[in-house]
Amino acid sequence: MQFVTINLSKSTFLILLSVLLHTQIAAQNLNTKQQDSLYLSRPFAEKVQQIKKSIAKAFVNYKGNHLSLFGALSFNKQLVNDKGINAPVNYMYDEVNENAFKTGYTGGLRIDGIYKDQHLYSISAAINKINTGNYYLNKYSLSPFVDDYTHFKADNNFTTLTIALHYKKLLPLNDMVKYKFYAVAGPSIDYKISRINSDNLVNGAGNRVMISGDLGAEFDNNDYYTIYAHYKLGANLWKSTVPVQLNRFEIGMTIKAKDLF
Amino acid sequence: MMKNLYTLLIAVTIIMGLGACNKETATTQIEVMTKMLANKNWYLDYTIQGNSVKSYVGQTTYFVTYLKNGTTSDSDGLIGSYTVEMVNNKSQIHIQAKTTNGNAIEYVYDIISIGDKKMTISKADTSQSTPAIFYFTSN
Repeated sequence: MQFVTINLSKSTFLILLSVLLHTQIAAQNLNTKQQDSLYLSRPFAEKVQQIKKSIAKAFVNYKGNHLSLFGALSFNKQLVNDKGINAPVNYMYDEVNENAFKTGYTGGLRIDGIYKDQHLYSISAAINKINTGNYYLNKYSLSPFVDDYTHFKADNNFTTLTIALHYKKLLPLNDMVKYKFYAVAGPSIDYKISRINSDNLVNGAGNRVMISGDLGAEFDNNDYYTIYAHYKLGANLWKSTVPVQLNRFEIGMTIKAKDLF
Repeated sequence: MMKNLYTLLIAVTIIMGLGACNKETATTQIEVMTKMLANKNWYLDYTIQGNSVKSYVGQTTYFVTYLKNGTTSDSDGLIGSYTVEMVNNKSQIHIQAKTTNGNAIEYVYDIISIGDKKMTISKADTSQSTPAIFYFTSN
């Protein structure tokens, strides 16, 4: 047994030594092409480095920047104004109209930081699964036969990608150290990434981009987690024959990524 | 940190690019109307011409079937094909059919309003000053 143990130690040492020697020899055995490439200029790579450095310089005042993950429940309702549609289509009003908030959900990443040591902000990117009630502002009829219809059937189930930028104001509530309350406000932009069906494309009604104004409150529990409630009022960014107003309430929670992983 | 921002920006750009499809085309309105019309039996409920109103509700009534493959047939034995068209900003159903005797017949309806369940179309009548308006319901 002792003989085996000694031999095992020697073998291990010899193996390690040979691996080390091989590595050293391999490193010295660069071919000409490899040796030349160490000295050649790489303009594209150097340009990218320059851009990165200049961006880093520009963002020198943005500090903190803690990455968090968040998830939220949302309550959504759309106001639909189909006045611009002149296609001779009808959708029964009672079948498409639903003057109620319906639930969806959202999840994403958020970066919280401070600008010039004074102004708190958050930038977030999220995917939203929106399920919405649609309230149609206009009702039409074709006497004596067709009563109460609309010219448009809005999408009530779609997915968007959101980017939001919020300014945060620490409120003078509680001790403001362990438990912090914030008021937040800022713009967000939604881009519909789900397919738009042909009913929503008639007469130029289709619109993928929505811009919203957000207002809300957040509660930070000693940096363990943040609970928030946001209200978002959105409208089409571009002109549409069917202007839509999207009202959303979000109730969610954020946790720092470093606490999770 | 900066790397996270770059990755986020690139991911957003790619996803927005991928979702940049679905624009209205010249045939979008025709597609929507054809979708509403096809694969249904349309039963005639009323006809109105001038001051004359005829009701067929509750009676054995005229009906017409439009199929997704572009063929049409009706309760009078006409069999043929149809297309939904836009002519001079008017939406129309153009029908080319043959009667039970094998005679070719062609006519055009102007679409006044079309939906999944209710359709109102009109047809000019050369013997009358006002067109006839037909009200259909699908089952």
